[in-house]
Amino acid sequence: MPVSRFSLRPIAVVIAASAAATLSLTAHSDSTADQTSKQAVTQAAVVKNYTDLAFATFQDALTAAKALDAATDALIKAPSEETLKAAKQAWLAARVPYMQTEVLRFGNAIVDNWEGQLNAWPLDEGLIDYVDTGDYHYALGNAGAKANIIASQTINIGGESIDVSTLTPELLASLNEIGGSEANVATGYHAIEFLLWGQDLHGFEPGAGERPVTDYAQNDNCTHGNCERRATYLDAATDLLVNDLEWMVAQWSPDDADNYRAELLAMQPSAVIKKMLFGMGSLSLGELAGERMKVALEANSFEDEHDCFSDNTHNSHFYDAKGIQNVYLGTYTRINGSTVEGPSLAGLVAEANPELDATLTAQLETTMNAVGVMKKKAEAETKPVTFDMLIAPGNAEGAKVVSDSIVALVQQTGSIEKVARELGIESMQPDDAGHAF
Amino acid sequence: MIRPAIFRSVSFASRAPCSFARLLLTGALGLLAAGAAMAAATGSATDTAPRAIWHADIATGYERLLESTRALDQATQRFCDAPSASALDELKGDWRDAFFDWQRVRFVDFGPIDLDSRAWQFQFWPDSKNLVARKADYWLSDGRTATSEAIAGGSIAVQGFPALEYLLFDASLAGRGIKPSDAQACALLTAIAGHLAQEATEVNQEWQAFATFYKTTDTLTDTTIHAAMTGLEILVDRRLASPLGLRGTPQVNPYAADAWRSGVSLGTLRASIEGMKRYFAPGLRALLAERGLDELIAPLDEQLASTLAEIQALEKRERSLGEMLETQEGYADLQSLFIEASQLKQLINGRIAAALGVVTGFNSSDGD
Repeated sequence: MPVSRFSLRPIAVVIAASAAATLSLTAHSDSTADQTSKQAVTQAAVVKNYTDLAFATFQDALTAAKALDAATDALIKAPSEETLKAAKQAWLAARVPYMQTEVLRFGNAIVDNWEGQLNAWPLDEGLIDYVDTGDYHYALGNAGAKANIIASQTINIGGESIDVSTLTPELLASLNEIGGSEANVATGYHAIEFLLWGQDLHGFEPGAGERPVTDYAQNDNCTHGNCERRATYLDAATDLLVNDLEWMVAQWSPDDADNYRAELLAMQPSAVIKKMLFGMGSLSLGELAGERMKVALEANSFEDEHDCFSDNTHNSHFYDAKGIQNVYLGTYTRINGSTVEGPSLAGLVAEANPELDATLTAQLETTMNAVGVMKKKAEAETKPVTFDMLIAPGNAEGAKVVSDSIVALVQQTGSIEKVARELGIESMQPDDAGHAF
Repeated sequence: MIRPAIFRSVSFASRAPCSFARLLLTGALGLLAAGAAMAAATGSATDTAPRAIWHADIATGYERLLESTRALDQATQRFCDAPSASALDELKGDWRDAFFDWQRVRFVDFGPIDLDSRAWQFQFWPDSKNLVARKADYWLSDGRTATSEAIAGGSIAVQGFPALEYLLFDASLAGRGIKPSDAQACALLTAIAGHLAQEATEVNQEWQAFATFYKTTDTLTDTTIHAAMTGLEILVDRRLASPLGLRGTPQVNPYAADAWRSGVSLGTLRASIEGMKRYFAPGLRALLAERGLDELIAPLDEQLASTLAEIQALEKRERSLGEMLETQEGYADLQSLFIEASQLKQLINGRIAAALGVVTGFNSSDGD
């Protein structure tokens, strides 16, 4: 399987930048690839393709976020089981492209410094709305953990009094990390997730959050109070998400000579290759295998589950891993089914060390299979087993599913470091590479 | 519950660092048995070689840890057999001694400690969501009785020193009318202490079995230096910077310190620097001499001494790190300790690592 993937991989497909005028990148046929496959892969071409992948992935994230915004608008306008369900579906769909952008975070400070407003986690949801006080566990020392913005006109956090009477995207953005706690997350996917699903009070048992749609009823049927403010909050949070993604798409647009993409293309290609590998390795090891799986598993802690309200954690993990594979193979399957592909890291490595390329390509596939098992279990029609059930105390079979994914991610990270060495990148530490000692 | 066998081959030694150095162990551990078998056959490592020194010194650190966890285990049993105020004080002292012995070897993130998440078993940290309390409370509720076996098979958050600290020091327990001498609390205390002593025994045995492989595998020199570098990074950038609000969000947070419940966080930092001095520096000095880098030896010794002196001076004032965070003067003292410790980090992770050609890999600063 790895071998055939490898030989089929187009090596030097040029992405038509001109197509960007219509904000879409075209897929290329295999014949084009075959004709150009004899050309040597250059680092510059790989970098260019990386920026194309990033652009396409962020564009898809934006498209899906706009659909989420429309679906939540429909929910707010006419709250019903159907509109709530449609909004949840739109949120789930929006996660698919967004999670594939996470590999771009580490290494690209512009993404990492921006993403907190969209995907910060874990959050103390009591900052936003009502919670079950008997079953709510927040970060130690977080003065804002029970602020409940939706129920308040003014909140007091750490001696600071803030007027929250008018809920705007700007206000919500300013409330992130209020009081100095990273767990105070007022915006982004997980805040929206909480507003759609509510707290998951099922612990290790089957079931996700069960927020009643009447939490959005604009009449006497309103449950848990402040339905109007809750709706306004959801509206502001989804608007902000769209705004933020628009900004990031512009940073990667080929139409702008003065954006981050242009900056990357003007750099030494090897410096960008290093960013690519740094993103792949950091997400594989420290973040995905470590913070998002290992902690939850070893401590049997569903509080450390990534998408804890919706129980969509399996997909977050799956598409995180997919993003890593995308960057290596230089391909991305868009939400409309078309493919963006071009000169890849894999192509570079294949020229320098075919064995290493074959190993890493196979390891990335092993990881996808491992997280694929997790996804399949969670999405089974009968007796689905979600991530919070896999990590339950005493669930040896579930623990194995998670640990298989961890092992696969750890192993691929080892090869990513070898690739860095193979390509002459000596240090993977971004800040003090090779100097400043 | 026994974790799947494959899990034993790959694990991270602590929450924050998922260091690349650890990957080397994935291979190394598989060869552990082979290494032991070769022990008699090979003699290439002399007693003065850096890795021979490191192996012996770390072995000493692990022996101390074993002795003090055994003493803690016995003190727990004495206290639970005949609870008294003096027995409780004694038990708290034994907890401190053993916890500090752990801090001294905490930088070692390879070898047997890397199996089965053992470092987390000794100390699950950081614990921002207070899992330690929640998982311990489980064993204090509904007539449950903890056993070492049950503890070993359950959440890692309740297996180590922080869970004992919760039972011995946490103010909220007293508020709920729970005393360490209560039957359930005692069952949990003895279960955890027994589990720790067992883990320390295994780590000691396996460290001995690791000897030949460690001494004859050249890549483990870098692994050892990486371990110290990661340990220093965690000490400076997390254990100190997080409570001071110098990392991430600009907000002091006493709960981000190592031992906020018992108020001995300064002591844990001191012990970790002592561990560097006793169990890492001698091997490093030998390596520097071997590579003709003698000029770095004096700065190393001086910096270790001055960092230790600064922290000891703060400890003498008998104010906990949490108390110091509450006053401007205390905060300023901690800031100067932070600078002092940063200089130690800069020297080892920067100057010395660069001179030795140690290359950094993915590490604790990677995740968020």
